Amino acid sequence: MLTRRQTLLLAAACGAVAGLAAARAHAAAPGRVLVLGGDLAEIAFALGAGSTVIATDDTALWPPEAAALPKVGYLRRISAEGVLSLLPDLVLANPGAGPRTALDQIAAAGVRVETGPEGESADIVPAKIAFMGRALDRAAAAETCAARFEAEMARTEAALAPLDSRPRVLFLISLAGGTPIAAGTGTAADAMIGLAHGTNAAAAFAGYKPVSAEAAIGLAPDVLLLPDHALEGYESPETAVRAAGLGATPAGREGRVVVMDGLRLLGFGLRTPQAVAELARALHPDAALEGL
Amino acid sequence: MPAPSTPMRLSKGSEMDASLPAVPARRGWPRASWILLAFAAATLLLALAGLALGPVRLGPGEVLSALAGQGDPRAEAIVGGIRAPRVALAAAVGAGLALSGTALQGVLRNPLADPGLIGVTAGGALGAVGAIVLGGTLAATLPAPLRPWLLPIAAFLGAGAATAFVFSLARRGGGIHAATLILAGVAVNAIAGAVIGLMIYASTDTQLRDLTFWTMGGLGGANWQVAGIATACIAVALVGLIRLARALDLLQLGERAAWTSGLEVERVKRAAGLWSALAVGAGTAVAGPIGFIGLVAPHLARLCVGHGHRLLAPAAALLGAALLLAADLAVRLVVPPAEPPVGLATALIGGPFFLWLLLARIRRDA
Amino acid sequence: MLEACGITLMRGGRAVLDDLALTLRPGECTALVGPNGAGKSSLLAVLSGELAPARGRVTLAGRPLSALGAAGLAKARAVLEQAPSLSAPFPVAELVALGMAAVPRATIDEHALAARAMTAVGIAHLAARPANRLSGGERARAHLARVLAQLWAGRTAGGGHFLMLDEPTASLDLAHQVGVMTAARRERDAGTGVLVVLHDLNLAAAFADRVVLLSDGRIAAEGPPSAVFRSETLSRVYGTPVAVERGHRGALRIGLDLPPAA
Repeated sequence: MLTRRQTLLLAAACGAVAGLAAARAHAAAPGRVLVLGGDLAEIAFALGAGSTVIATDDTALWPPEAAALPKVGYLRRISAEGVLSLLPDLVLANPGAGPRTALDQIAAAGVRVETGPEGESADIVPAKIAFMGRALDRAAAAETCAARFEAEMARTEAALAPLDSRPRVLFLISLAGGTPIAAGTGTAADAMIGLAHGTNAAAAFAGYKPVSAEAAIGLAPDVLLLPDHALEGYESPETAVRAAGLGATPAGREGRVVVMDGLRLLGFGLRTPQAVAELARALHPDAALEGL
Repeated sequence: MPAPSTPMRLSKGSEMDASLPAVPARRGWPRASWILLAFAAATLLLALAGLALGPVRLGPGEVLSALAGQGDPRAEAIVGGIRAPRVALAAAVGAGLALSGTALQGVLRNPLADPGLIGVTAGGALGAVGAIVLGGTLAATLPAPLRPWLLPIAAFLGAGAATAFVFSLARRGGGIHAATLILAGVAVNAIAGAVIGLMIYASTDTQLRDLTFWTMGGLGGANWQVAGIATACIAVALVGLIRLARALDLLQLGERAAWTSGLEVERVKRAAGLWSALAVGAGTAVAGPIGFIGLVAPHLARLCVGHGHRLLAPAAALLGAALLLAADLAVRLVVPPAEPPVGLATALIGGPFFLWLLLARIRRDA
Repeated sequence: MLEACGITLMRGGRAVLDDLALTLRPGECTALVGPNGAGKSSLLAVLSGELAPARGRVTLAGRPLSALGAAGLAKARAVLEQAPSLSAPFPVAELVALGMAAVPRATIDEHALAARAMTAVGIAHLAARPANRLSGGERARAHLARVLAQLWAGRTAGGGHFLMLDEPTASLDLAHQVGVMTAARRERDAGTGVLVVLHDLNLAAAFADRVVLLSDGRIAAEGPPSAVFRSETLSRVYGTPVAVERGHRGALRIGLDLPPAA
C-alpha cells in the first residue's frame, strides 16, 4: 500500500518539471509575476521575462535564477495569503497547482490568475510556450522559442528514427519501503520511454502502481530507469537495485540501471528534447545515433 | 422524605457531627466559571488574531474597515474571503475534535480515547477519500446544491462506522481495557489506511491532486461554502454533545450503574457516537486528518475545571478551538509565504504531551 | 409490590434461574443467600429490571418492569451493584448527586439530599475528597450514599419503593458491615422494600425479616431466618457441614461444623 510519503512522491512526480536555459532576456516586461510550476517558470525565463518573476513554487528548480527566487511552498498546497503577501499582479499556474480554493481566493483579491494547458507529452510544450508568451506579452519571443523547441524535437526524433530495437524499460519512481513504484501507461515516464524508442515494461497497467520484486522480474525489463531522487540514501544505483530485490531482473543481472535528473526527465518543458536524447543514448548504447 | 436519622455508628475517627453542613457549597464553581470565561476570551483573542495577522501585513484600521465592508477590495478579499472562513473553520474543527474526544473518553471511560488514536478520524478519512475517488459518478447524480455535502456526509459515515465498531467492543463486560481500545484503534487505522491506499492506487491523476492536498491536512482549502457546511455540521454536533454532559457524568459509574440510575445508556451511547462522528467527519472532510486536539484539549480542560462534564465539555470545546486557531496561526506565520501543514503543528504540541501523559500514568501506576 | 413469577433466565445454554417466583413487599427486608453460582445476583438483576428473563414476568404495582424504562425504574427502585466503580475522580458529593439524575433538578434539593445521604453513612467529612482517593470502605459507603440519595429522590417523585443491594458488605470490616445493614434497615422502617444479597448468613439472620435461600437457580427454602437457617437445610445446600445455634441473646449463630484444625 502507498504510504503518505509515497503518495507525495507520486504527486511530486506528476507535477515535476524540467527546464532548459535558453537565450537570455532582452528587455524586462512590466509587472510582478508569480509562477506556479517549474515548467512554466523555465519558459518564463527562456522568454526573457525572468526579471518580472517575483516568486515561484518548490518545483521551480531550473534555471538557477528561478531556483533562487522566493518560494511559496509546494505546488499542490499553495497558501492564498502567502501568494498575496508577495503582491503579484499576475499568477501563472500549472494545472496541477492548488488547492482550487486558494487560486479562487487569489483571484478574488484582484490578482489575475491564469492556468496553463494540461497534458503530459512533448506535444503540449509548444502550447505551454504560447500560453506564457500571451500571458507575459512576449508573443514574438514565444513563437521563436516554440519553433526552436519543435525543431529540436524533430531533429531528435529524426536521429532516433533508424533505431530498430525497442528495449523494455521499467521506470521506478521510488524504491521506498522495499516496494518499488513503477510507471504504467498514461504517465510522463511512459511518454518519455516511447520517445526514446523504448518499450514500457509496465504497460500492463495505467498510472503509478507498486510492484513487488517478483512482479518486476516477471516484467523482464532490459533497463531499469530511476530518477536521481529515488537513490537518496544508497551508495550506488546497483546497491539500490539489489536492496529492492531487483537484482534478478535482466536489467539487474546486466547492470543496466539508468539514473536521470527526475525533473528534467518528467517535466515536459524546454529541456525535453535533450532529455529524450540522453535517455535514448542510455537505452541504445551501441547505436551510432548521428545528429544528436 | 426519610427522617434524617442518626448517622451510622462507626469506628472512632470517622464519627460525624450530623449538624455540620455536609456538602461544602461547591467551592469549585465560581473558580471554574472564571476559567471558562478566560478560555472563551483566549479563543476570541486568537480568532481576532487570526483575522488580523497573516503573511499579508494589514494594519488594524484596514482589518476593521475590511470587516465592516468598507475597506479596499484587496483587504476585504483577504480578511473576509481568506482569513474569516479559515478562522471559523479552525474554531469549529478544533472545538469539534476536542468535544468528540471528551465524549468518546467519557463513553469509553478511557482517557486515551482520542478520535485519531481509536480510528474515528481514519474512518472519516476513508469516507472522504472514497468520496473523492469514487464519488465523481455519484456526485453527478446528485442535484447541484447537494454536491458540496457529499464529502462531509461520506466522512461522517466512515467515522460513524469506526465509532460503532469501537463502541461494540466496549459493550460487552461493561468496561474496555485500554490495551484493547488502543489495539482496536491500531486495527481500524491499519484497515482504513490500507483501503485508502487501495483507493489511491485506483485514483486518477486529478483525484490524486485533491488527495495530496487533503491527506496533509490543512485549513487552507477553506472558502465560505466549505467552512459554512462544516461549521454547520459541527455546530449541530456540539449542541448535541454538550447536552450529553450529565449523561456522560453518569456513565462514569459504568454502564450498568448508569442504567440503574435512570440513564438510557444505549440511547446515550448512540447519540454520543453519532454526534462525535458528525463532528470528526465534518472536520476531517474539510481539513484532513488533524491529530491530537481530541486528546490534548480534554486533558488540559480536566486539569483546569475538573472532571464534571457540565464544565468539562464547554471548556474542552473552547480549548480545542483555541489550540487549532493557534496552530493555524503558527503555520501561517512561521515560514511565509509558504505554509506547513497544520497537522504538523498539532502533532508537535500533541505528540510530546501524549508521551508525557503515558509516562505520568506509568509512574502513577507503578 | 414487586412480583416475579415463572422466572427463567438462560446463560450459555444453562438455566441460571429456573421457573422461580418471588414477591417483594414494602417495609420488608429480604435477604438473598445461597452458594456461589446459585443465581443470587442474576435474580437481583431480573428484579431490578436490568436483565429480561427468557420466560416469566416481573411486575411493579401490576405494571411490567420493561414498560417503565430506565428513568421510571430509577425512580421506583435504587440498586447498589456489586463492586461499584467510578472512572472519573469526582468529589464524593458529586458522586452522591449522580444518584439523583432520574429526578428533575427543580423538584428536589440536591444539595440537602446529598448531604443527608453522606451523613447517613458517616462520610460527610469526605464530601470534597476526590472519589479515587478513598479507602475501600469509604468508597463502598460513598456508593451506598449515592444509592440512598437515589432512593430518597425517587420518593419525592412518588417512587422510592425498593432498595436492592448486591453484596454491599463484601469489602467492609465488621463495624461497617453492621453500619450498612443498619442503614438498610432504616429504609425498611421508612416503608421501603429491601432486597439484599448476602454471603454472611449471620448478618442475614440479624437483619432480614425474610430469607430466600437459592440453590441452582431455584428457591431451596424461604421464610423467616429461623425457619430457613436449619442445620440440615444449609448443610445440604452448601454441601458442607453447617451448624446453627442460638446465641446468648437468642440470636442465630451459623458456622461451619468442622473439627478443630489441630
